[in-house]
Amino acid sequence: MMNRQVGGEKGRGMEIERRIIKATWAHNGNLEPLYEVEDKEDEILVTFDLPRVSKENVAINTTADMVEVIAKMSNAVCWERWGVVQKEITFQAFRKQIRLPEPIEPEKAHALLKNGILRITLPKIRRKVLINIE
Amino acid sequence: MEEVVRIVEEEGVEYNNPIVIEGLPDVGLVGTIAASFIVEKLNYKEIGHIESDLFPPVMVIHDGKLKNSFRIYSAEDGSVVVVLSEVAVPPKAVYPITTALADWFHKIDTKQPVISVKGLPMKNRMDIEKPEVFAVGNNGDAVAELKAKQIDLLEEGFIAGTYAIMLRECSKRKISAISLLAQCYPVYPDPGAAVSAIETLKKFITSLTVDVGELLENAEEIKLKARDLMQQTALSASEMQKGMEQDMPIMYR
Repeated sequence: MMNRQVGGEKGRGMEIERRIIKATWAHNGNLEPLYEVEDKEDEILVTFDLPRVSKENVAINTTADMVEVIAKMSNAVCWERWGVVQKEITFQAFRKQIRLPEPIEPEKAHALLKNGILRITLPKIRRKVLINIE
Repeated sequence: MEEVVRIVEEEGVEYNNPIVIEGLPDVGLVGTIAASFIVEKLNYKEIGHIESDLFPPVMVIHDGKLKNSFRIYSAEDGSVVVVLSEVAVPPKAVYPITTALADWFHKIDTKQPVISVKGLPMKNRMDIEKPEVFAVGNNGDAVAELKAKQIDLLEEGFIAGTYAIMLRECSKRKISAISLLAQCYPVYPDPGAAVSAIETLKKFITSLTVDVGELLENAEEIKLKARDLMQQTALSASEMQKGMEQDMPIMYR
């Protein structure tokens, strides 16, 4: 009972902070890329917008329920006049981990990087049975 | 009674039957990217802003100077006016802002048509090398002008967002208006689509002597800077019923 209460308060505290400091950039120089997850019946399609990134600098890791992308930018950027803390940071990579809505088969996944958009196709784990109509 | 949305002009501004470019944030941020590029390259000056209690309490700082998020710019000679914003339009402000802007366009005796620059979201945008531009006109004159300039028209379908209501509000005030819709990514900033939109804009505004090549060169940096606004805009998309743009109207002919 005690643990649940403490956990609850700590949880709420973290949630409140995230409402004030919710950023698409991090102090370690990582940017959060824009992304989209699409459920397409037999597969899950995840796309990322990765400007300034070439194929050789993208690493994609997936497990049955998660996909992670780490992509190094070909030119790092430092926006020297932005904000207070941000102006000191050199942004050099995108990084994002996404929890998938359904389990997928990592070995059958494939990806394409075109015009700066990374499209990852993740086949769902499916055992299809054909049903006959009487 | 104070208006819900107020257009605040700087003192002493002179208008010269201006053509209006409306570039408020929408899919692909096409209008915003095009409008801010034009304003920057042609050195348009800030001549006013838009205020409302329906907007979030957000101001922006550029070059150490405090600015409103929704701003209006004008060409030096008063012949072109540009409306843009660095913050997404809250859905509940759509109707009041279009009414206020349409009233204001009437007041400044805008040259017609008023032009909204927007995007047409495409699932397969990744496979489109050069986005095409389609258009909607709000009356016979607008449609005739689009046809004369050989711009493809949207013939049947839904349009959703600030620009859709803008077409109607301009109509009510007998102002011709068009929306230019460039094929774009639904949720990613699309400088390529903005380039296509600007090339079409040039058919209406001959003084728009911007080099779109420069926009393409800076495309990646623009995408980096546009991430946050794109996210804000995408979040309000469902309340704006953007999804309906993919739907079939029941009375399709």
